Amino acid sequence: MNVDDRSAWPDAPGAGPLGDGRYAAAVHRPTTVAELCEVVKAEAAAGGAVYPQGGRTGLDFGLPPARPGAAVDLTALADVVDYPHADMTITVRAGMTVAALQAILDEHNQRLLFEVPRADRATVGGALATGVCGPRRLGLGRPRDSIIGVSFVTAAGVEVKGGGRVVKNVAGYDFPKLLTGSLGSLGIITQATLKVRPRPAASALIWLTADRPEPLDARVAAFNTSSVRPTAIEILDPSASQALGGPVGLKGGSWTLIVGVEDDADSVAWQVDRFRREAGVDFDVLRDEASAPLWSALAAFQADDAPLACTASLRPSRIAAFLAGLRPGRWASQAHAGNGVVRMRGLGEWTEGEAAEAVDAARAAAVRDGGNLVVARCPTAWKPRLRVWGEPRGDWALGRKIKAALDPNGLMNPGRFAGEG
Amino acid sequence: MTATAAPTTIPLVRELAALLGEDGVLHRRDELVVYECDGYVIEKAVPDVVVFPTSTEQVVEVVKLCNQHDVPFVPRGAGTSLAGGTLPIGGGVMISLTRMKRIVEINARDRYAIVEAGVVNVWLTRALAGTGVHFAPDPSSQTACTIGGNVATNAGGPHTLKYGVTINHVRGVELVTPEGEVVQIGGVVEDQPGFDLTGLLVGSEGTFGIVTKVIVGLCRDPEAGRTLLAVFPTVEDSVEAVSGIVAAGIVPAALEMIDNLMIRAVEAAFHFGFPVEAGAVLIIEVDGVDAALDHEAQAISEIVQAHGGTIDKAIGWRTREEPEYKAIWKARKMAFGAIGRVSPTFCTQDGVVPRTALPHILRFMEGVSERTNIRIANVFHAGDGNLHPIILFDEQDPDQVKRALQASHEILDECIRLGGSVTGEHGIGVEKLAMMPKLFTPDDLAAMTAVHDALNPDNRCSPAKKIPVGGHCIERTSPGRRAPA
Ligand SMILES: Cc1cc2nc3c(=O)[nH]c(=O)nc-3n(C[C@H](O)[C@H](O)[C@H](O)COP(=O)(O)OP(=O)(O)OC[C@H]3O[C@@H](n4cnc5c(N)ncnc54)[C@H](O)[C@@H]3O)c2cc1C
Repeated sequence: MNVDDRSAWPDAPGAGPLGDGRYAAAVHRPTTVAELCEVVKAEAAAGGAVYPQGGRTGLDFGLPPARPGAAVDLTALADVVDYPHADMTITVRAGMTVAALQAILDEHNQRLLFEVPRADRATVGGALATGVCGPRRLGLGRPRDSIIGVSFVTAAGVEVKGGGRVVKNVAGYDFPKLLTGSLGSLGIITQATLKVRPRPAASALIWLTADRPEPLDARVAAFNTSSVRPTAIEILDPSASQALGGPVGLKGGSWTLIVGVEDDADSVAWQVDRFRREAGVDFDVLRDEASAPLWSALAAFQADDAPLACTASLRPSRIAAFLAGLRPGRWASQAHAGNGVVRMRGLGEWTEGEAAEAVDAARAAAVRDGGNLVVARCPTAWKPRLRVWGEPRGDWALGRKIKAALDPNGLMNPGRFAGEG
Repeated sequence: MTATAAPTTIPLVRELAALLGEDGVLHRRDELVVYECDGYVIEKAVPDVVVFPTSTEQVVEVVKLCNQHDVPFVPRGAGTSLAGGTLPIGGGVMISLTRMKRIVEINARDRYAIVEAGVVNVWLTRALAGTGVHFAPDPSSQTACTIGGNVATNAGGPHTLKYGVTINHVRGVELVTPEGEVVQIGGVVEDQPGFDLTGLLVGSEGTFGIVTKVIVGLCRDPEAGRTLLAVFPTVEDSVEAVSGIVAAGIVPAALEMIDNLMIRAVEAAFHFGFPVEAGAVLIIEVDGVDAALDHEAQAISEIVQAHGGTIDKAIGWRTREEPEYKAIWKARKMAFGAIGRVSPTFCTQDGVVPRTALPHILRFMEGVSERTNIRIANVFHAGDGNLHPIILFDEQDPDQVKRALQASHEILDECIRLGGSVTGEHGIGVEKLAMMPKLFTPDDLAAMTAVHDALNPDNRCSPAKKIPVGGHCIERTSPGRRAPA
């Protein structure tokens, strides 16, 4: 291990990117947890910071790294620890890619319950640390609902676990939930146990279009009394319809409602038919294999490299009004409408001032009804003005206490997470 | 002022009465005895005072007074804890949430409800009837337990197999911290930037403060369901069938097992029509879209038959209000009330094994029963691998008590050995503190302690619960006498 000076940021390319245009002073790629613990202890002793990395698909997420330090590459810790498939759980090391994990589950016709873009690169640890998920969250939940056990290396260089490998367990504090979405700021996730489920036999994506978002809102609301039980309810604005659905025949220039159902073949057929009768309109349907590309595109929308991207969390009933309030032509937006989540991608050129104005306006609309807006991506220099994590929340004070308890010297991913910067 | 309050708390009692009114404070010895224990009756501790705040502001003031007077405090909901979660260790003030019982808001469109902590689980269920949505956690104690208590224990129930436990249905809480500050954690929208503090708080058994309000997420009601009663010659056959169903990739809404001892007790009490000769029955429920359910029910029947079972009843339903449906679940949920007919004293254990290990653990329990000469009855959430062996004994017989305790320990140790847990839903409370070091390493416990101390620095809030902080591990000398779940 080569621990050098940690007092200044190295020039590019250093020992590899840390995100936000900053570079690592060293990179470690431990092959055992024991080695990882030693790395953390050595970096702590050298006074640097530790930046855990998986597939490097989300390095720019959050605020910029605050202090020079070392990257810790987890991709060598990538094995299956235990896959009792008949129990529908799997325990893997954090550095395994999500695609590799899915390939293992494929052997038993099972699947992961949350969708991760760039799954061929993104690791299980990275996906959990960012809490990423996609359209199926309506039916299948978020990563926090899948995770039942976690191990992580703390700033003290020791591996700690919480939860376990059984689906029901209330012994000890729920570290699995605490670590999920913590962006590596409490420790380095080394291992996780996840619930998995059988792949459904059939699937369909229904879509219909409208000139404005408001009529789609009534359709979304109707699912609260409908006989249909969708796994996903998505709304795409005209630009997103064009970008995502062009290849499968969605019309650009229109607003699109996409409803996904998954179950056995009879149920899916019945639900499609039922929706046709309830909605009283005709629509297009992609079934089974033919639906796969659009499902993937819907999950991958958030992973585009647009320089400006935001995620708003709202009450589902506010989605249409929120979308209608965004400036046409400036955003391509996708809503997980059943969950109240809007993913916005900036279109064309922006100046910092324009971006700040647009983000402030959208954020104000989100906050009005108890929602929030996070800037998922923007140029590093804009981050202070755009306030990546939004308005400070009252509960961040508790978060800071937990951070101080588990990482008193701010070793882990310093500066990046909500409430820190 | 009465002479029975501990002298040190007399000024505190006076201040509490000034704050809450005389009818908001109990401090006479005869009034306090009721609060000396919860559903876990083996250990007792009488609080110095019990208070009944009616608002968050009052809870804040109570907590501040406790801090000023340096006395411990503990929240209590309905007191149905089976792990001694509400025990006032070291005395002090018990904060009862039962007068904070308003359903503040129901928003079916946005699928949430806001309730005060003292709202009883089933009140919300009733209030939601006909809206098309429901609150999924349905502990067997749902007619008594509070949603604040469900949050504190991360309660489960028969239908949490498919829908998930309490944590999967809580969006946020209003918390009065141990220092007496009000913090809004999470909110009505699903995603919030920052740590998942809701995730950490649910299941923390009152050690991070007093929950005064809860924002729960609501699920769509199923379009239809089938509930099957499957009858088996032996317990082994029934749990082999459970493993078979799970392994076949079927995710039932509920999958509960009742063994012969319990069948007889339930029949004697409720005359539901369970076959008293059966070695075991399974209640197997599938729900979702009607069109899919006949296939699923058929697949389940085949698995049942392959394991020597027969389908005794099959109920098709559209709502959970249908009488036959309600009857079967009433029989299941009231099972515990029937145990008294079988044994003078009993202790319900709570352990978890991987679901495929159910046949093994059931055989193991039979061995334990033979070795210790102690009868063990079973009625539990089989689909989750969540056991509730009911250990039957006579507390007048010290030797039986010893053997019952041994049986209990052997079973939980075997759960750990199989990669399971010592509690799936009842919690650690005070009861299982000594078992934490068997599940977790000193490093794991040190990290949990660090988080505990960060949020509860003076350890005045619910001391000696959940994790072994400050040497509060008590060795059990008796297995307790408790109602099961
Ligand atoms: C017959 C019977 C059947 C049961 N069945 C089940 C079952 O199926 N599933 C299951 O999970 N459990 C079951 N239980 C256990 C128990 O009902 C649950 O743990 C329930 O969630 C406790 O709720 P309560 O309101 O009674 O809480 P209490 O017993 O009053 O308290 C439980 C714990 O929560 C804390 N607490 C309570 N209110 C608050 C608050 N507002 N803020 C912070 N902390 C608080 C207490 O300090 C204590 O640690 C059963 C119990 C019985 C007696």
